[in-house]
Amino acid sequence: MRVVIAEDLALLRDGLSRLLRAHDFDVVAEVGDPEALAAVLAGTPVDVAIMDVRMPPTFTNEGLVAAIEARARRPGMPVVVLSQYVQQLYARELMRSGAEGIGYLLKDRVADVRTFVDAVRQVAAGGTVLDPKVVAVLMSQHARGEPMGRLTAREREVLGLMAEGRSNAAIAAKLFVTGKAIDKHINSIFMKLDLPLAHDDNRRVLAVLRYLQGGSPPGDGDRQWSLPAT
Amino acid sequence: MTVGTRATSGWPWWASWQGIFRFEAFVSAAIGLAAGLAWATTGGHFWPAWVWFGLGVPLALQGAVRWGLRAPKGERALFVHAAVSFALAAIQLTIWLLAGLGYFWPVWPILGLGLVLSVHFWIVRHRPNAREQALANRVDVLTRTRRGALDIQAAELQRVERDLHDGAQARLVSVAMSLGLAETLLSSDPDLLAELLSEARSTTLAALDDLRTVMQGIQPPVLADRGLEGAVRALALDLAIPVTVTGGLAGRAPAPVESAAYFTAAECLANVVKHSTAASAWVDLRHQGRLLSITVGDNGQGGASLDGGTGLRGVIRRLEPFDGTLTISSPAGGPTSVTMEVPCALSSPKT
Repeated sequence: MRVVIAEDLALLRDGLSRLLRAHDFDVVAEVGDPEALAAVLAGTPVDVAIMDVRMPPTFTNEGLVAAIEARARRPGMPVVVLSQYVQQLYARELMRSGAEGIGYLLKDRVADVRTFVDAVRQVAAGGTVLDPKVVAVLMSQHARGEPMGRLTAREREVLGLMAEGRSNAAIAAKLFVTGKAIDKHINSIFMKLDLPLAHDDNRRVLAVLRYLQGGSPPGDGDRQWSLPAT
Repeated sequence: MTVGTRATSGWPWWASWQGIFRFEAFVSAAIGLAAGLAWATTGGHFWPAWVWFGLGVPLALQGAVRWGLRAPKGERALFVHAAVSFALAAIQLTIWLLAGLGYFWPVWPILGLGLVLSVHFWIVRHRPNAREQALANRVDVLTRTRRGALDIQAAELQRVERDLHDGAQARLVSVAMSLGLAETLLSSDPDLLAELLSEARSTTLAALDDLRTVMQGIQPPVLADRGLEGAVRALALDLAIPVTVTGGLAGRAPAPVESAAYFTAAECLANVVKHSTAASAWVDLRHQGRLLSITVGDNGQGGASLDGGTGLRGVIRRLEPFDGTLTISSPAGGPTSVTMEVPCALSSPKT
């Protein structure tokens, strides 16, 4: 699997690259700023791009903007955005170009190597992986509203774990139940959220997307942000 | 707008004082000339001097008033007074001259005019100046708010130091100890070694969490990224109750104002969640007429006040160094709205 890494801190860039190579990823390029990233993406076929939110020149949210731009040029382009802190606002902005092939994680999650590597693979395959912190806030907010109110507490928990990018087996292990029980919950979630019959992976993504949109106040967040001009 | 500029910009001559004055001077000159010619043809006592004097008096008085009005605003009355006094003195001297000298009676009215003018001058010099009073009040406010600002800053630094000491630092010490112990167990107890390593990793993550919290308290990254409006929108999304954000800002406020405004809005929203039992809240942001205003409202139980220990005092203290104000409307039973206003200019959008 071909990966490009965009991270301006050499220490973290090397660490990420070493970690991914050790897990049989093909790191085709390591760059330190969004321009170099765009150049790589334009010339090299890449399965997934991993980028830091904060990069030169303004060290604010270049990575986020780069991810949105990359997906504008190539719809569905899998990106994993890493950050020292997570914002729901940013998660929503990323999702605006579709929830497929999006990862948004705290940098801390890299420490849990296996989960992180799984997350990158899932995103490359078109899945959605959100940081548990983002999911936790969503959980607390959207529990009451429609259509999330139709879900049972257990189903909401399962949906939250789906949004974190966990596989059925991982969810089953985490909740100490069988895989069959999880399948049942997930089917029930699909039904209650009126998701059309489709490929299972796609429905997962749709469920997560529905979940994210559930609490979005009307008219809010329609604004597209751009990078400060320099 | 001065009257003079009107005359030059297409207005008729009688629409400005200057125009009228010129016309008057022209007519007076014509009458004076006619009187002179009349005397030249008839001869005798030189009576046109009195005609010229009569024509000159209104012109002199008007000229004096106009000259006085050119003085700076605070001294205008004194200057008009002085100019008119001099004009009157000159008129009396002229009368004395035309009347054929003799006893120098103008000395008395001139002395009187001089005396009144001196008193006026003395009063202007010694009256308690309104501007000075305003400045003194301002100094009081600045002294108080500067002390407040420094207190806040010192308290903030103390809090940051304590948070780092009790949080991240303590955790890193613990990580170092775990790793040190692990080193000694390399060959002897691989099970315990694995446990220690895993513990070290989770403690590192907790330290990172601590650091994030501290950084959030110093300067929320989203505020630097997106400015006040974006940061407030992000804040609204993170709260447990639905918060609607309306309005917006066309540019960025100065960084210290952004920071103070953000933390005050955050404090108000935290109050909503903690105290108001509201089901929803709203924030309105705008910048109008050099005034940044943020209103935080909710549909809760109301009853918020400065003395309720809800941190609103702290909000005021944060706003004061920027001449900001806070108004609360919170009747018992609700709804509550808190408006913060800070005078400031916005920089051009996102440059």
